[in-house]
Amino acid sequence: MKNNLDQEQRISLAHRVALISGIFCGVVALLLILNFWHMKQHEPLESKTIEVLVERLSSEPGNEELKEEIRSFDLLARKAYFTSRWQVKTGTWLLLFGGIVMAASLKVYTDLRARIEAPEKVTEELLRARANSQYWLMVAGGLILGFSLVAGYLSNDYLKEYQAMGVVEETEQPQDGIEVIKVFPAQESADTLGSDSAIEQEGASGAEAIEGAGDETETATQPVAVQTTSRFNRDDFKTNQATFRGYMGQGVSYHKNIPEKWNGSTGENIKWKVAFSKPGYNTPVIWDDKLFISGGDAASRVVACYNRNNGQLLWEKEVTGIPGSPAAMPRVTDDTGLAAPTMAVDGNRVYAIFATGDVVAFDLQGNKIWGRNLGVPNNHYGHSSSLQVWENKLVVQYDTNTRGRMLALNTANGETLWDVERPVHISWASPALIEVNGKIQVITTADPYVSGHDLETGAEIWKVEAMMGEVGPSVAYEDGLVYATNEYARLVAVEPKPGAEFTWEDDEYLSEAASPVAYNGLLYLATSYGVLVCYDALTGEKQWEKEYNEGFYSSPMIADGKLYIIDLDGVTHIIKADRSGTVVADPELGEGGFALPVFADGVIYLRGMEHLYCVGE
Amino acid sequence: MLKKIPNLALILILFALLTGSFLQAQQRFPKPEFDTGYVQPDPTTPEPRAMALEYFDVLVLLAVLSLASWLAVKKRSRRGLLWLSVFSLIYFGFYRDGCICSIGAIQNVALSIFDPGYAISITALLFFILPLLFALFFGRTFCAAACPLGAIQDLVVINPVSIPSWIRKTLGFIPVIYLALSVLFAATGSDFIICRYDPFVGIFRMDGPFLMIFLGITFLLLGMFYARPYCRVFCPYGVLLSWMSKFSKWHLSITPSECIKCKLCKDSCPFDAIEVPVEQAYRTPEVSRKNLKRFILYIGLIPVLILLGGWIGSKSHIFLSRVHPDVYLAELMISQPELKEDEENLDIQAFLESGDTFEQLVDQAAVIREKFRKGSLVMGGFIGLALGITLMNQVVFRRREDYEPHKGDCFSCGRCMDYCPIDSQKSKGESQKLNVESLKLKVENQKSVKSKG
Ligand code: SF4
Ligand code: SF4
Repeated sequence: MKNNLDQEQRISLAHRVALISGIFCGVVALLLILNFWHMKQHEPLESKTIEVLVERLSSEPGNEELKEEIRSFDLLARKAYFTSRWQVKTGTWLLLFGGIVMAASLKVYTDLRARIEAPEKVTEELLRARANSQYWLMVAGGLILGFSLVAGYLSNDYLKEYQAMGVVEETEQPQDGIEVIKVFPAQESADTLGSDSAIEQEGASGAEAIEGAGDETETATQPVAVQTTSRFNRDDFKTNQATFRGYMGQGVSYHKNIPEKWNGSTGENIKWKVAFSKPGYNTPVIWDDKLFISGGDAASRVVACYNRNNGQLLWEKEVTGIPGSPAAMPRVTDDTGLAAPTMAVDGNRVYAIFATGDVVAFDLQGNKIWGRNLGVPNNHYGHSSSLQVWENKLVVQYDTNTRGRMLALNTANGETLWDVERPVHISWASPALIEVNGKIQVITTADPYVSGHDLETGAEIWKVEAMMGEVGPSVAYEDGLVYATNEYARLVAVEPKPGAEFTWEDDEYLSEAASPVAYNGLLYLATSYGVLVCYDALTGEKQWEKEYNEGFYSSPMIADGKLYIIDLDGVTHIIKADRSGTVVADPELGEGGFALPVFADGVIYLRGMEHLYCVGE
Repeated sequence: MLKKIPNLALILILFALLTGSFLQAQQRFPKPEFDTGYVQPDPTTPEPRAMALEYFDVLVLLAVLSLASWLAVKKRSRRGLLWLSVFSLIYFGFYRDGCICSIGAIQNVALSIFDPGYAISITALLFFILPLLFALFFGRTFCAAACPLGAIQDLVVINPVSIPSWIRKTLGFIPVIYLALSVLFAATGSDFIICRYDPFVGIFRMDGPFLMIFLGITFLLLGMFYARPYCRVFCPYGVLLSWMSKFSKWHLSITPSECIKCKLCKDSCPFDAIEVPVEQAYRTPEVSRKNLKRFILYIGLIPVLILLGGWIGSKSHIFLSRVHPDVYLAELMISQPELKEDEENLDIQAFLESGDTFEQLVDQAAVIREKFRKGSLVMGGFIGLALGITLMNQVVFRRREDYEPHKGDCFSCGRCMDYCPIDSQKSKGESQKLNVESLKLKVENQKSVKSKG
């Protein structure tokens, strides 16, 4: 009996000890957490006061009193720090001690209270248990094996791919790597594309082009005929928005009578709308009645040609059989994709470049003329510099993480005409052309140089250190001044000549992706956070600014004396291109887009994320 | 309800301890960045010991194993085993920082077999072999009292719950896979995963990355209810010990003389390691026939499983080989070439500075991958074989008359011995741990059993 009482007492004693030590531990833990939180809040070692005082000291270095003050503050901070350290240490030890006491008393408590329970009658049914075990072992084993198998099949053997590719990363493909299709004697194709005076004979050229489109099936079966002598007429490039940002890549269209009102959702003023097959952020290019876009995903890259009068797909060709083209797609970001660069067309051929480094030329009937790979670009977003074409040269700005580079390829066969190394970092901007003293210069912008190269030889004519970071916007040009900008860098106006200095510079508004455009003595710039600004092009004086809800990745274009710019939501903002900045309209497309508006006589072509639209009244 | 309070309190203090040590780890002066070539010591790897002291460790191990075996098999003292395990916890765990360790020694042995350039230290070899040898004769006495990982988990066993056998068997397959993987990774020189994911080493060293400490604390918390979770669900060395122990001649027995089937010990094992007598009911001709059929089926299945496992294993070699840093780096640089520009990717920067060409790295990686292809094939085959044997064992009913520890699963901790009334009848002084009530109950039970008999 007495023994029993002792037992009870012991149990309750153990219980109490456990409880008290438990509470003790809880309190200590709480204090520790509070202490930690407090220290996080005001880290004494990074005290603002000291910082301020030190700053002040640098302006009045002789102030002894101040020095004394800093010293005492610093001492205080250190004391606070070490006190807190002491608290944490002591707290941890207390906690450990409390924990041990508690664990021990708990152990005693549970042991004392333990009773042997009368054995149960029902034992685990052995047979069923075993059957269960077998079942679950098989399930688990099957799952593990299955998962490994799936994982095994899903894992990509990069090493093998790499070794199989024998990667020629950005090394020049040997010339025989270019696939050139035999050139037959000149045989003017039936389509008579590119009538030289298209601007006056709008209607006529359109009709003929459609005829040509009809002949397409015929020509495809005939031996491929390619013009040996490429025709070149400057005015054709004014008539046709044939490259990124139109004529010479300067962002100004020469068309009049451009629609101002439409609505993609309701169909108002939409002449036609078609869905395209593969995604791509490139802007359509036009030659006479044909409109070209490119697209691509991991499965394939395509070039497509539409009849721009009715939206009929004339042909769509996969880009295949290019020597050196990588088996695995390079990694690109979603907002760049594999087909970001805008194509170029010159009436003879249409040219496309993809993030794989593949450059390809088709004739306007969709026959592949040549294709080559420039080496897979080491580009962490994906290659996006668009092509420029002039006379017989296809200009490729090819700045990658490996090196800065620019090439001109022979438009007829893809052979390299010149290939220059540029002392710049990777860029995503596109080359623009300007004419200075009767000579065509290719203007590029990248970190750190904005530079001009001779189109004939590729030789650098001038450069100026002006840019920083990941340069996306291309340059603008008017009346002897080149304008370049980039986010985190600056906006500059420079004369395109050796030893050039900034005519003016500004850094209030900078653009991240949209290229500036200069027109009639004014410069327009659009930011990725939705501000549109107008400067006096000669002085840099700000004329007006407008703020929108959506940002701009697409560049402004000037047409018919108005500025057209599409925001990320697909809303086109139309503003008078003058010092007044009068808003004309803000028509909506109904889907977002990155591409620029493409102008032709009386119509605009817009490329959304999924559809191609023709707007006309 | 009342029972729950102490458990909750215990969780609380463990949590508090965790946060305490975590806070300590957080509040530090930032490590100074010297330009003098001074290398920060790596806090997770203790300094190498002098040779003599290493031999001393082997001696201590040998002594502990002998003593543990004696205590378990001859002396039959749970208390002795308990204190011995506390000693091991302090010595091998806290004092020796959980290094050297028999479990991790698996990897040294594997590497030394497959990499002729690696010479295993005699200490590591002995740490690997001695416990296995002892297990071969006396059962897993290493787990009972010499393993610091086992000891720390054993100490927190407060309120263990019994787990249905199908869960145990299924979970019990994980250590086999872990063993296979750790041997594969060690043999290919990729990684010592047992050490990397040792959950308690952070606690032993009172320092370590947050995740390590967190894992350790989690295992301890879990271990209050699911006794020795690491031992039962992960420990790869336990697999080997269990194989050895199955052949042990002098394994600990619950009763010192004859089992009277009083069932008193049945629920005493926190690890569900006690096997009940196989009753006659399971031995009817019908059941036997069915079992025989299954047995034959599984025997036939084993080669299939080996082949299947091997095939799947070799299919898995690509992703498995990514554990090797060279393969990982090579593939990273192939798949994301832009990272070469990333100043903050230290691995890539270190490689670029090493002066090796990328081709060399890729070739090296390809050699390692080839090793993995062979290794994974063998590993998969092994896992298939193990699965087949485990399945087969499920249909084998060995005749068993008594309550006995499962020789493979029993950790020889000795708890069950205290529950056997025969034992306590014999040596009265020993039975102090049991309270009077239970003694009474025992006697009553015995009576009833006897009267029934
Ligand atoms: S099973 Fe493994 S961890 Fe557990 S006691 Fe045995 S050797 Fe140690
Ligand atoms: S000695 Fe007894 S209680 Fe301990 S593990 Fe073995 S069977 Fe279980």
